[in-house]
Amino acid sequence: MGKHTEVQSHRACTIGLPNGLLYAHYQVLWNSFFAGVGLQTRNSGPTNREILELGNECSIDETCLSAKLYLGHVRSLLGTCDYILVPRINSWGRQRDMCTRFASLYDLVCNTFRDSGQKFLSCNIDAGKKLTEESAFVQMGEELGFSKKIAENAYHQAKKEDENQWKLRLRKEEALYREKGIKVMIAAHSYIIEDDYYGKPIADYLRSLGLIPIRADITDRKEALKQSLKVSPTLKWEWNREIIGSLQMHREQIDGIVLVSAFPCGPDSMTDEIVSRHFAPLPVLRLVLDTQTGTAGIETRLESFADILSFQKKGGLAQ
Amino acid sequence: MSQKKVAFPRFGNYNLCIKYFVEQALNAEYILQPLLTQRTLEAGARYSPDSVCAPFKTCLGSLIDALEAGADTLIMPPGICRLGYYGELHEQILRDLGYEFDFINLSRYSTGKPKDYLKALKRIDPDLSAAHLARVGAETLKMLAHLDDTEAEYYKNCGFEVHHEDYHKTWSRFLAAMETAQSLHDIEQAYSWVKQAFSSIPISKPAFPLRVGVVGEYFTAVDGFSNHFLEQKIADMGVEVHRFMSVTNRNLRYHGKNLQIGIQDYCCYEMGPTSTANIWAAKHYASHGFDGIIHIKSADCTPEIDIMPVLQNISADYKIPVLYLSFDSQTSDTGLETRLEAFYDMIRIRKEGK
Ligand code: SF4
Ligand code: SF4
Repeated sequence: MGKHTEVQSHRACTIGLPNGLLYAHYQVLWNSFFAGVGLQTRNSGPTNREILELGNECSIDETCLSAKLYLGHVRSLLGTCDYILVPRINSWGRQRDMCTRFASLYDLVCNTFRDSGQKFLSCNIDAGKKLTEESAFVQMGEELGFSKKIAENAYHQAKKEDENQWKLRLRKEEALYREKGIKVMIAAHSYIIEDDYYGKPIADYLRSLGLIPIRADITDRKEALKQSLKVSPTLKWEWNREIIGSLQMHREQIDGIVLVSAFPCGPDSMTDEIVSRHFAPLPVLRLVLDTQTGTAGIETRLESFADILSFQKKGGLAQ
Repeated sequence: MSQKKVAFPRFGNYNLCIKYFVEQALNAEYILQPLLTQRTLEAGARYSPDSVCAPFKTCLGSLIDALEAGADTLIMPPGICRLGYYGELHEQILRDLGYEFDFINLSRYSTGKPKDYLKALKRIDPDLSAAHLARVGAETLKMLAHLDDTEAEYYKNCGFEVHHEDYHKTWSRFLAAMETAQSLHDIEQAYSWVKQAFSSIPISKPAFPLRVGVVGEYFTAVDGFSNHFLEQKIADMGVEVHRFMSVTNRNLRYHGKNLQIGIQDYCCYEMGPTSTANIWAAKHYASHGFDGIIHIKSADCTPEIDIMPVLQNISADYKIPVLYLSFDSQTSDTGLETRLEAFYDMIRIRKEGK
């Protein structure tokens, strides 16, 4: 007996990865980690109308759109895999908090789908309790029956892979600032802007209008954290700090900002206000997405925003 | 140097403690703004971003009230969740409106070291010593515990008084005594008095009265104005009202980790700043034969929305009704009363059926 046989018996085990919230940040790390220990993963696929409805039905009404979509993704995976991964992340350190929804996520999912018989896998990161990302991954590996050594190796491999891919993405995104044309930064959580149903169409539409959309969340994160304090000294949410710091780093290189938030979003309800105040007179368009949001309304607003920007670029309004 | 005029946002009865602390520890004048009213909330809402949670708006309104009442120094508490970020935005909004004041945002000093808070408070009183701060701090916490315990006692019994307003009059006298307290002696004297006075109020309470437990978001749960004095409304129907959430219980008396153990069958982790205490309290009420639970929060309060699926499970497991209420600046008193009456009727009929 021992760890080895355990691993063998887990060969057929599949981990479900809901394609929402943390997935946007973690897909490379998760996929390579599970591949590293020899487990299969199953993704819930792109968000669509059906996922939205599945999520909407089982969510508390006042929950943010992103969490509703997430629950839809989880629900579509129920019964199709041995475990569904639902991490819990509380904080990365002082003044580096997550929105409280990420602290509740695991228990929220377990309580919502309590009667489904589905098993959920946690991965708990909480700097205040000295639980780092690495220790969380190792513990998760051990829970799945792997030895500490195997889990550690898989994590380090995955982390390397993740860092390499991130560097590539970052280089590509930063090249956009050097392009000629009207540049608009999209300030949105990664899971919103990467969502196939809600976020991606916004960037696509901006492109079709001849603008160059650039994602604020793909940035030199360390520098962005530092810069965010210049905009807002007590801002405490890690990902909002990255986005706001990124805006600050690039404000001279862009022509406008599009803020995209889920409705209702705790952190964004406050930071959107800070952005509008701090980055004036840079034009800012604020889009708030909810379950009722239709493409037509958004497109009209993007069009008139594009008009303003091109007018201004020609020296129109500013004079 | 002239004495500073210090104020703090209105927050339940706790301003009396802050007053004591400011006057006794910081050698400054405390400006106690008028009680919160609809006008305060409207003023706060007018200048707040639309989608921030209601306590933000209420606090902004009461800071404006304080400035109008003569305050020149505002203190903002540090805090969990969005509250810890309120201060920065409050300050900006107030400055943009043209107000002049000194702003002590404790979030800027919350490095985890008490020394840093001392530094912040020295801005009010440069001669403040750590020892003096500790002594007055301890006295203030005493007052706080007495206020919370007395209020808890009040809502358990005021619905059963024989003579109308007996409880209310006594409670008001106690609050007035706390407002003017100058020493630990004053505090303890007022507390012994109120305990004695409460116990001599005649009540007529059935052996098994209806009992309702209130859980919910910190600010809205403890601030009567923010929850439209919901506890009084239910108590007046002849109900014993319990509420676990208070500064004393949440921050001083109980150890979050130990409460967590009692709710393991519902959640593995701390789900949010007040989640553990609320889930624990809800389970406690459910398993101790209470007749109903009321969950209150400001609209869109993220952490409290997230415990609702847990409360739904507790409700199903223990067969106890839970009423979910959200408050914002639009909440109407009549709408609330209708829902409370319907809830009351339901739990009364269920009890009679047992
Ligand atoms: S940050 Fe906003 S969108 Fe993201 S989980 Fe929290 S409330 Fe939802
Ligand atoms: S706990 Fe709720 S009401 Fe309080 S700051 Fe957080 S979201 Fe706002």
